[in-house]
Amino acid sequence: MYLTKHSSMNQSKNRLYLFLGLLAIYLLLTVATVFAQDVTDTEYRPFPKIGSRSAAWIAAQLHLLFGSFILGVPMFAVVIEFVGMKTKDKRYDKMAQEFIKLCMGAFSTTALMGGVLVFILIWCYPKVMNKMTGIFGPTMIFYVFLFFGETFTLYLYSYGWDRMQGRVSKLWHLFLGVLLNIFGTAIMFVSNAWLTYQTSPAIMGPKPEHKAIPLHDESGQFIGTLWQAVNNYTWMPVNIHRLIGNVAFGGAIVGAYAAFRFLAAKTQEDKAHYDWMGYTGNFIALCGLIPLPFAGYWLGREIYMFNQTMGINMMGSLFSWLFIIQAVMIGVLFIGANYYLWSGMTRIAGGEIYTRFRPYMIAIIVLSIAIWMTPRTLILSPKEIAAMGGPNHPLVGLFGLMTAKNTVVNIIILTTFLSFLFYRRSGKTPTVGWGKAGNIIIAAIFGSAVAAIVTIGIVGFKVATGFRVNVLTPVQVLIALAVMILVAAIDLVMYRKAMRSSEINWGQMTDRSQYVLILLAITFTSLMGLMGYARSGLREAWHIFGVMPDTSPDAYTPLLADAVNVIAIIIVIFFALVGFIFWLGLWGDKKKEGPPPVEAEASTGDD
Amino acid sequence: MQRKLIRIICLILMIVSFIAYIAKAPAFPIASENLLPWSAWFFIFALANIILWQSVVKLLSFSLMVIWFYAFAASIIPETSTATVDIGNLERTPEAFIDAGQIIFNGKGKCNTCHTLDTSAPPGRCPDLTDVGTRAATRQPGVTAKEYLIESAYEPHKFLVPGYGNIMPPVWKPPISLSELEIETVIAFLQSQGGEVDLTPFEPPIDIGSAEASVEVLPPLLTGDVERGQRVFVEGAKCIACHAVAGIEQPAGQTLDDGVEVVAAPDLTEIAALNSLRYIEESILVPNAQIVSGYGSVTVKTGGATIQGTLVTQDNEKIVVRVKDAAGNEEERTILLSELDPEPIEELADLKGKGYFWIQVTLADTGATVSGDLVEENDENITLQVGEEPQTVSKSDVKVQATLIDFDENVIVGELVSENEDEITLIVDGEEQTTDKFDIDEGPTYSRAFGKRLAVTSPMPNNFPLLLSVSDMSNLLAFLASLTGATDATVAEGTEETAE
Repeated sequence: MYLTKHSSMNQSKNRLYLFLGLLAIYLLLTVATVFAQDVTDTEYRPFPKIGSRSAAWIAAQLHLLFGSFILGVPMFAVVIEFVGMKTKDKRYDKMAQEFIKLCMGAFSTTALMGGVLVFILIWCYPKVMNKMTGIFGPTMIFYVFLFFGETFTLYLYSYGWDRMQGRVSKLWHLFLGVLLNIFGTAIMFVSNAWLTYQTSPAIMGPKPEHKAIPLHDESGQFIGTLWQAVNNYTWMPVNIHRLIGNVAFGGAIVGAYAAFRFLAAKTQEDKAHYDWMGYTGNFIALCGLIPLPFAGYWLGREIYMFNQTMGINMMGSLFSWLFIIQAVMIGVLFIGANYYLWSGMTRIAGGEIYTRFRPYMIAIIVLSIAIWMTPRTLILSPKEIAAMGGPNHPLVGLFGLMTAKNTVVNIIILTTFLSFLFYRRSGKTPTVGWGKAGNIIIAAIFGSAVAAIVTIGIVGFKVATGFRVNVLTPVQVLIALAVMILVAAIDLVMYRKAMRSSEINWGQMTDRSQYVLILLAITFTSLMGLMGYARSGLREAWHIFGVMPDTSPDAYTPLLADAVNVIAIIIVIFFALVGFIFWLGLWGDKKKEGPPPVEAEASTGDD
Repeated sequence: MQRKLIRIICLILMIVSFIAYIAKAPAFPIASENLLPWSAWFFIFALANIILWQSVVKLLSFSLMVIWFYAFAASIIPETSTATVDIGNLERTPEAFIDAGQIIFNGKGKCNTCHTLDTSAPPGRCPDLTDVGTRAATRQPGVTAKEYLIESAYEPHKFLVPGYGNIMPPVWKPPISLSELEIETVIAFLQSQGGEVDLTPFEPPIDIGSAEASVEVLPPLLTGDVERGQRVFVEGAKCIACHAVAGIEQPAGQTLDDGVEVVAAPDLTEIAALNSLRYIEESILVPNAQIVSGYGSVTVKTGGATIQGTLVTQDNEKIVVRVKDAAGNEEERTILLSELDPEPIEELADLKGKGYFWIQVTLADTGATVSGDLVEENDENITLQVGEEPQTVSKSDVKVQATLIDFDENVIVGELVSENEDEITLIVDGEEQTTDKFDIDEGPTYSRAFGKRLAVTSPMPNNFPLLLSVSDMSNLLAFLASLTGATDATVAEGTEETAE
């Protein structure tokens, strides 16, 4: 029976290969005529069928997503390996190793996508690439060295995992992991310089105005230094935003993988393992998600400072509705993350005492997200403006202002932190004598912080923008951060010797909660795709903003409705490839374990 | 077996409907451009798959549904695009022509920069084109709607709608450079505005190919001397300080007498090829009559600060103003119209037609406020566009606010109750307050309305004609009339110098 099935599978594979072969020949024949044209002296060359922009867009976004994967997952792995070493819990080490193995497949896919992107750019946009390489040539050589460094470090880190398990060796191994992340981060920083330069080809002027100083003369000639081009106006904000985003993305992908394995698991032991893995992934994703809005705000502010029109196009004009969709996605992320934490409390006996707070917390988060989603300005017809009594609604219009949005972001973050606090406390009773007083203090800290954040938010409506942006908003952020640090410190001391009424019953999670983990991963990825479109679209019809105009047939900003379709295609391709890489990992493991017993194979369901 | 078959069919249909939705395929089973049916099909099959399948396919269906949800949510929201349209394979159907024409009207053709398609919109620089498909037939006796639209597209100067100047550029010339087919689509789109679309091919009144190659020479209507006119342009009136003309060196950092600031003004190299002599003459005599987009001077208040500069662009949401700092560096500032400070409007006369106005008045009897864009205003009434209907308010029914300053420099602002020769009574902070006119240092000044205004003026000195003698004016006009952008030896040499 096994042999029959094996032979049938071989036939299916042969058919698949035949189909893929024919498809490849068809594609080659289709594009051959276009590539055969003599277009050696031209500014643009059209990419066959889908157009140059779509081709570059898809390749760039896929490269970026895989890049984030191979940056985010090693960050995750090193942290987890370190936790495993400190706690001496082998599960952590095993999980970290499992993901680094998956990284190997993703690493080659990233390089492949990078190669595809470069070829497309050189083919379709020779003049742009000529300009960019003229400015950034040395960094590209540096990039190659970094890439070699990252590759060999990853090989050492992965293949040396089992050999470097001694006390000292482990430390060296961890060092390799840190080195891998340094190389990865440096690679990201270098490539960020190129794309941020296209958006903001200027450096920041002296305090206090920080006026943008252009790096080109009126004829478009570059007049700056290489370092100035690298350290352009939006370089560091994008670096930090992406760095934190990668941590969250890595955690979310790990969570999705764990969820998939959880749903497919046949034994309770496997369920417990993947439940724990999903929890850890979600925890890391949350750690990244919480500071992400702050980093995003900083980036937005720098864009405003670089070019006010670009800033207004971003938040109040051309892309204003995109940011509403972004708010929807971030809303899904926060609601999903909270839902997963609350679901997690059901596997801990004693966690139910916190369920009474849930309705209020849901209400706060939903209301806050509704405010966050309120647009500041809309594209309205004169009739609509007249019907509303002006371009902004008299009441709801206030929620469209950044002071309202910043306020609710901080409140969402504090609410999510509270969810995590409840989760951490579930099934534990503090033994310290000041437990009740501690709770009162924590409640007072939360209460006064929320009151202060809301008050500052209201004051923000009445002060000058500069004061709000430079003083009030940072104070709000500092209050939220201070609450998290202070409360975490008090809670740690309070529950250090807490009495455990029950253990965490890993594996006793609902399937629904696992779908939430998958939802989070897809939402993160979609969000990255969406923001990629925004970041690039902000340049409007410029290859390099204000310096090199885009005169190609694609020199216009596509409709959001068109852009999201391209993004959807990218996300489907990305997850198909990631799924393939995961499947390869599983396949390899199964091969090592040998062929499954005949009974087990025969009993496998059809779905 | 049957259940398995249903599940497989559902899976295939889900994938097909997802691809069809993303690819924007025509709706099934009824051909339509509405994408909702494919969304509905996808939603139904994805849901069915989630219910029918377990494990991997369930997960796949769920994942596709999430991806679809974000794409769908983003596709149903309003927005604008700067898209062009590929008309290479355009079907010769009214629908295809109208769609393409609309995109070109709002995009490459830049028609919407000056023309509006909404009678309630603030007045544009050129006529509103609502129902132009039928109204075009009434413009000139014996000229059909289509003939009129063709003439307007190719030779806009031939007939000018009363009240509007000859400012429309030839759209078949650079930088707009619409092709004959593109112009045809725009005409079809305009015909669809209240009229019937007629796609019968027509012979353009101008052969674009030969017209571009030939030189347009204006008839010598003037008696002035071109060379003397150039001297007036360069030395006498110093027009060259602001206006560039290819072939004439523009002095760098030149300052003008009488405190007039040197600003960027339109290039006049091709002025005679682009505009009529009447337009040139009017621009000299009445600089504010027609202001070229991007060169108007504007003063606005926002956040208490006054901003003065050149209006670069303006739409229903925002304006972009180019301002200069003390060091002479220029930067562009974008200001949302909603952020313009409302100001008391003391004089309501002659507001119409000078820019964007949003006005608010308070009714005396009910205290209710009426606000909207100004439609019309005369000595007795103000008409505002409130919602879809214009609303007329008598000035005598509107509360009047008075401002006065006493000798202690106290500024008293309140609602006017009564006034006679000796005293004035105002409601200040809810209480009536009577002030003896003997104690008033300044005022009272009155305002009936609050509003936001954006009045654009030409930075060219309004007394410019007074600076010129009749002969200078004549010579200058002759010189400007010679600026067709080509063939002239001086200009040609100058262009080469510039190129070098």
